[in-house]
Amino acid sequence: MTEISAAPAAADRPAAGESYHRESRWYPYALIAPTMLTLTVVALVPFLYMGWISLHEARYGQIGAFAGFANFEKLLTDPRFWNSMKVAGLFVAIAVPIEFMLGLIGALVLSQRIKFRSVLIPFLFIPSMMAPIIVGLVWKTMLAGSWGFFSYNILERFGILSGSSVFASPDLALYGLIFVDIWEWTPFMVLTFFAGMQALPANPFWAAQVDGANPVQIFFRLTLPMLAPLLVVIGLIRTIDAFKVYDTIYILTNGGPGITTESPSVLGYKYTFDFWEIGTASALAVVIWLVFFVFCNVFYQIAKRRLNVF
Amino acid sequence: MAAMLLRRKTLSAAGLSALALAAATQASAWSYEEAAAPYAGTQISILDEVTPLQEQFAEIVPEFEKLTGIKVNYQLLNHFEVINRGQADMLSGRGEYDAVMAHSLQVGLLMDAGVLMPIDGFLADAALTDPDFAQDDLIDPAFSSLAFLDGKQYSFLNWNYNMVYWARNDLLSDPGEMEAFEAEYGYPLAPAETFDQLHDIAEFFTRKSGETLAGETLDSDFYGIVMEGMNGGGTYVPVWQVFIKNAGGDIFDADGHPTFDSPAVIKGLETWGDLWQFSPPGQAEYSLIDVPTVMGNGIAAQSIAYSDFVLGIDREGASALHGEFVYGPTPVYADGDEYHAAGEPSGYFISTHSKNPEATYLFLQWAAEKKTQAELLSSGVGVPVRDSSWAELMTEGNQLNGLYDAMKASLAGVEATPKAPRWFQISDVMNRIFQQVGLGQATAEEAAAALQSEVTAICDPCILK
Repeated sequence: MTEISAAPAAADRPAAGESYHRESRWYPYALIAPTMLTLTVVALVPFLYMGWISLHEARYGQIGAFAGFANFEKLLTDPRFWNSMKVAGLFVAIAVPIEFMLGLIGALVLSQRIKFRSVLIPFLFIPSMMAPIIVGLVWKTMLAGSWGFFSYNILERFGILSGSSVFASPDLALYGLIFVDIWEWTPFMVLTFFAGMQALPANPFWAAQVDGANPVQIFFRLTLPMLAPLLVVIGLIRTIDAFKVYDTIYILTNGGPGITTESPSVLGYKYTFDFWEIGTASALAVVIWLVFFVFCNVFYQIAKRRLNVF
Repeated sequence: MAAMLLRRKTLSAAGLSALALAAATQASAWSYEEAAAPYAGTQISILDEVTPLQEQFAEIVPEFEKLTGIKVNYQLLNHFEVINRGQADMLSGRGEYDAVMAHSLQVGLLMDAGVLMPIDGFLADAALTDPDFAQDDLIDPAFSSLAFLDGKQYSFLNWNYNMVYWARNDLLSDPGEMEAFEAEYGYPLAPAETFDQLHDIAEFFTRKSGETLAGETLDSDFYGIVMEGMNGGGTYVPVWQVFIKNAGGDIFDADGHPTFDSPAVIKGLETWGDLWQFSPPGQAEYSLIDVPTVMGNGIAAQSIAYSDFVLGIDREGASALHGEFVYGPTPVYADGDEYHAAGEPSGYFISTHSKNPEATYLFLQWAAEKKTQAELLSSGVGVPVRDSSWAELMTEGNQLNGLYDAMKASLAGVEATPKAPRWFQISDVMNRIFQQVGLGQATAEEAAAALQSEVTAICDPCILK
């Protein structure tokens, strides 16, 4: 049986404004200290070390003399860096809006109490639950030139793509990768938006229906504004994640043909583990971080002021 | 170059002979048990690449442990991982591995970084070196071009990866196809020995779905040739070593300056690029692993491929076409040319961070010993590193004798990659621009000019001396 302790005697109580004050002042910091310490050790320290390396000569991984901005100069004058930014930019600009739109449509459809919803939802988890490397392998077996299931049985048999294959074509490879990304992440968007919609309060929707609002008006005047915080956060996370794409590219094209699908992550890997140019690789990481730091801040300010999110 | 290599090998062999003579006067019989006695109980870690050859070798590694009392942590990783992880371990100074199997393409970088330990001191130590080791039996020019730099020896030859010509014998010996080929090209159909024949056979056998092949109606397209074509990996290897070098040129001159803008490079690229019209549509995705898969699946007539991967396909249960293949040395432009073939001689190199270099050296030596090699090849399957091993493999009735003939002929022309510290950057440029030629995005002349410009920007000269 649980014992209920008596209230402390008046003499045991701290004087007003003393320990309670001290406790309330330090208590929150004490609570977040483990997390902050962990983050500092696993994220901030390596990042600062990488920033330090980017300012030094780093031959074969051995850190040498201070090099100023030489690594940054080398990176920013390398056409491959700008190509990789273009590849990632195009990837994000096409994949994320499509995933976003399809996700929203899918979530709206699921919200309509369609048949077999409870069966369908677990299936939607499958692509997003797969490790990206497995996603790459799955689509390699589907689209690999000459022996891929889809390539061999459909594209080549019916002469749809004669003389080339999706991932061997400089014109198609990037779009093939975008397609794979959409396949992988759209279900995640559907489920996230669906979960968000389920959490919205029902009263405003009933009121709107009583007032005679049609479904389009309800969507644009109620659903979308109320979902805005979720949409903004998921959109931001997906944009950052899509920009970092690595695994599927590594498996499916390794950045080729030529450098047509070489993203900054793939280029960074090559700088590090193929060329052993650790200084340039670190400079690349710092530049990408800066780009996202600026992007996220601008995004945050816009979302805060225009959409009243955050 | 060849004379210099021969001199190095002769000097090395002379040194070993002297060592053998000295040892003979000191000890009646050298043995691993005695040599390893001071190191018994120590553990060494060796990183190697997973291929059918190494899987076979892994089975006999326990015999070294039994013989010496040295424990071996023998790890196998795939081609790309063994390069990245092995280099990362040595360059970072972590020293998890006492020795790493390095392909010749890695050696320039690792030597320049000073992470490879010369073995001359161990070789000269009568207590450690078997007087009967017979270093001059290791296959040349692969061994000499791999193991030495600036008068120092760094390794033996442990894996002798080489490329061979590989074709469908059932097609090349089909009476109907033979008759049709001779009628069209004016000479008998046979495995290609020249690039012109390679081209003709590729062209002849490239067929569309619905056409017939050896009397059967095709239900999908069939291709005349398949080769590596992906950006990354080893696409550049046969292009450079087979197509360009046999054209009488090279990518560096004797002083290591890039020579991509030469007629030989242009001729090699034209010949190679021209073959892409007879290749599967996905060739630009194909790595050294995909090529044997495609050959095993039976959708191409011929290839130039690594012989150790061939061993994984032309065996019972691996492919329905087992026993239907024919092999030869990789082709040349015309009879009488100086012969060059493609390969990647590789060896175990001791890390300067090794804590047990003597025990590791004993392992290196044991791995390349005649007796060990004989045991490794006793199943009749393998790629020799010793001249004397051919007899072990080419036994009467071995179905793979044709492949071994081809390997032997190819290995006569296989040299290690030049010791270029920035080889990965150079090969990255080569892969990318070679692929553009294959895909028809650049002419051979444009590619040669771009290669010269880009590689010169990376290094000039490029090779360690």
